[in-house]
Amino acid sequence: MLIQVLLILAVVLLLVFFLRHHGKSKTAASVKIGFALFMVFGVIAVLRPAELTRLANLFGVGRGTDLLLYGTVVAFGFATINTYLRFKELEYRYAKLVRAVAIQNAEKPNAEPAEH
Amino acid sequence: MSDWSDVWLVVPVYNEGAVIAEVARRAMQTFPNVVCVDDGSRDDSAAQIRTTGAHLVRHPVNLGQGAALQTGVEYARAQPGAQYFVTFDADGQHQVADVERMLKRIKSEDVDIVVGTRFRGGDTSHIPWIKRVVLRTVVALSPRTKRLGLTDAHNGLRVFNRTVAEQMSISLNGMGHASEIVEMIDRHKWRVAEEPVTILYTEYSMAKGQSLINGVNILFDTALKTGSRR
Repeated sequence: MLIQVLLILAVVLLLVFFLRHHGKSKTAASVKIGFALFMVFGVIAVLRPAELTRLANLFGVGRGTDLLLYGTVVAFGFATINTYLRFKELEYRYAKLVRAVAIQNAEKPNAEPAEH
Repeated sequence: MSDWSDVWLVVPVYNEGAVIAEVARRAMQTFPNVVCVDDGSRDDSAAQIRTTGAHLVRHPVNLGQGAALQTGVEYARAQPGAQYFVTFDADGQHQVADVERMLKRIKSEDVDIVVGTRFRGGDTSHIPWIKRVVLRTVVALSPRTKRLGLTDAHNGLRVFNRTVAEQMSISLNGMGHASEIVEMIDRHKWRVAEEPVTILYTEYSMAKGQSLINGVNILFDTALKTGSRR
């Protein structure tokens, strides 16, 4: 089926991109492993929908696609918070930079302030 | 008149060109050391500050009031002879007389930080009722604030000594810093006292004041910050 090929291609590309992009940075190893597992889970879901449905039933979910949807929602939430925290961290560093620049360029008052 | 040469006023300024010169000049009649932190204003705030004789520190970009306060404190604590620090609003809400009273307290009593309060004794009817309700609710919901015996955690008028200035590190750039300072009081075991102060709710300050909706942002930032501490 075409959709299977497309979805798997997308997953593999995403995985390669993720690993290459974050390979050198200090992303927590557990995040990488979690992401990789999620990707594998996605591939299985595409290839063996019946297996996924069996797994879903095990968890008390009716259909495999539903299980996939729930998993995606959780992963999305996780990714959002991760991004948010990263942004905050970046903002914090940015503030420190701005602060350093500001204090370096501080203007002391003139000996004789202008009268109005 | 007392000698306040060891006192530094930290005034965060964001687009206050209309009033800042007047506010700074009036404060400087009593306090010789004033540092205005221009937080990337788009108006003529910086030019106005230059006419007053206050020190001027300019953020090249806008960061938020918390960041501006931190910058001001870092600048002030590096100045020779600085012993006491005051955070003072740029919009003319705060009274110099209140600051003097708070300074006298911090110099005579065993406290590290004196925080202004709108809710200790005195008449509160001048405070817009919705603000009153929200501020009261915030205090009621925060066990820490209650434990420390604070009645008005979001008052911008604070006086503190060198110990506090050295340890102060505000990481929330926006308006969440008030709660963050309360948290620091608790964590660093600063001895805290409250002093009743009068906030002038002028039309100008009301228009500029933070919207109550922003409280949601503050709650969110504070919650996630606590969760992410390493």
